[in-house]
Amino acid sequence: MTMIELRDLNAHYGKVHVLQGVNLHVGHGESVALLGRNGVGKTTTLKAIMGLVRPTGGSVFFDGREISKLRPYQIPRAGVGYVPQGRGIFPMLSVEDNLFVGLSKRPPQDIIDYIFDRFPRLRERLKQSGGTLSGGEQQMLAIARCLVMQPKLIILDEPTEGIMPILVKEIRREIDAVRKTGVSILLVEQNIKTALSLCSRVYLMEKGLIAHEASSTDLEKDSDTLHRFLGVDV
Amino acid sequence: MRVTDTYKFGSWLLVLFTLTAPWVLPLLVDSFWVDIYSEILIWSLLAASVNLLLGYVGLLSFGQALFFGFGMYGVAIGVVKFDLGFWSAFIFGISLATGMAAIAGSLAVRLTWHYFAIITVVFSLIFYFTALSWKPITGGDDGLPFTIPPIISFGDYKLTMTNANFQYFFIVTIVGACYWLMYRVINSPLGRAFVTVRENDARAALIGLNVYLIRLTAFIFAGFIAGVAGALFALFGRYASASYMFYHVSGEAVVWAIIGGVGTLFGPIVGTGLMIVLREELSSVWDHYLLLVGVAVILTVIFAPRGIGGAFKALAEKIARQQFSRKESGP
Repeated sequence: MTMIELRDLNAHYGKVHVLQGVNLHVGHGESVALLGRNGVGKTTTLKAIMGLVRPTGGSVFFDGREISKLRPYQIPRAGVGYVPQGRGIFPMLSVEDNLFVGLSKRPPQDIIDYIFDRFPRLRERLKQSGGTLSGGEQQMLAIARCLVMQPKLIILDEPTEGIMPILVKEIRREIDAVRKTGVSILLVEQNIKTALSLCSRVYLMEKGLIAHEASSTDLEKDSDTLHRFLGVDV
Repeated sequence: MRVTDTYKFGSWLLVLFTLTAPWVLPLLVDSFWVDIYSEILIWSLLAASVNLLLGYVGLLSFGQALFFGFGMYGVAIGVVKFDLGFWSAFIFGISLATGMAAIAGSLAVRLTWHYFAIITVVFSLIFYFTALSWKPITGGDDGLPFTIPPIISFGDYKLTMTNANFQYFFIVTIVGACYWLMYRVINSPLGRAFVTVRENDARAALIGLNVYLIRLTAFIFAGFIAGVAGALFALFGRYASASYMFYHVSGEAVVWAIIGGVGTLFGPIVGTGLMIVLREELSSVWDHYLLLVGVAVILTVIFAPRGIGGAFKALAEKIARQQFSRKESGP
């Protein structure tokens, strides 16, 4: 069963044809990475899913429902959680407000307990404003905020970018924990090791298209492909 | 003193002054300053409506005078044309302003930044010229004077706003209720949703917030507050005039809000108070006093972008930090 499926997704920035027919899918409980060099359209693909960039062609099916015509605020409500690049928290609001501001009512206590057990640093800083947290803590807040909405799919755009190595490990561990709860994950990540360790399948993007698809275990051994699409070795 | 204590102290001082003004002001200066202070309180609501939009959802409106005018004309037309009583006319004026805000807002809040500012000016101008030319209803250039109906009447006993003290406390009560309402809204989940939209509307949408609806709610609420101000001003002045609907009046409210401090609850009172006192004191001795207003705005924007309210907050926080660090390094 597919959780999300992108069929021939196209998007333009003005006259620039950024997404030129992206096809990908993420299964129920599956974690998939979307990799590629800078500027190939990874973030645009995620933004197109979230309705922040209007697709100019193709469709997005989420849990069997076409969502590309929905308004941006309806997509998270449908069950797609998004942790944007550069955290995307609200610095002026407290940690608590950041967590709950998007909800019409407070989530069940077991969800709140689960979040704070996973992110004890947030519980300690509940009344502190979001802007005073460190980069890693802000990332945890962004992930936690996504989790309180109880999404079926979480989309993460470079969650470990610019974060202290010690916290990268912690964030990686938390994403893995989320994955194990059965939530589907679509991850864009510059850190190949993180992507391969967290995801079972990988799409490689080039010039607005999915150029290659492989399992993480296969890709790990395929240094030619890694070199060709990402210019790196693992 | 903690930061919150400093705020509380400042707020209580303001409340104490407001409650004793009819007796204190005549002793200190002159009794006509009681009327000026009433005017400041009323106009501060117009600045507060600008502040709600600019300070909490990040929309700069140059059209709040439109809703002020609707509130004002609602009362005057209600009394003169429909023979309404005091409360019915008051509610009619506020409803008219709120309804107009809902109509204008449903179109305007689709836009942001300068497009939003321009459309608010356009709305304001359309109705300003309509009010000027629709003489049979609005009185055109002459405005629409009316005799104020009694607030309560029992047989021969009538309580009216002609009693100066009663008028003052009526204004204080209504203005106080508006600030209390704004305080409640700002500190509610809706108020926090306002802030998310101000900070980053795309992020707000990504957590499931309907940005359009939040902006529209803020716009209607701001229109309601401006409408209350207009309705009160009509009762205070016993007339309505199109000149108060001109976008120049909206511009003044923007200046008051900026100087007082956008994003702070009582900033608009401080800004409005300061600028009206300045106007009262300077306009009679120097025709070009508005030059000073311009300089004050430029200085505020450069040196205290969060206005007097924001500067006060920053100062209080600085003092609190110093005291805290002294305590930390103490024995």
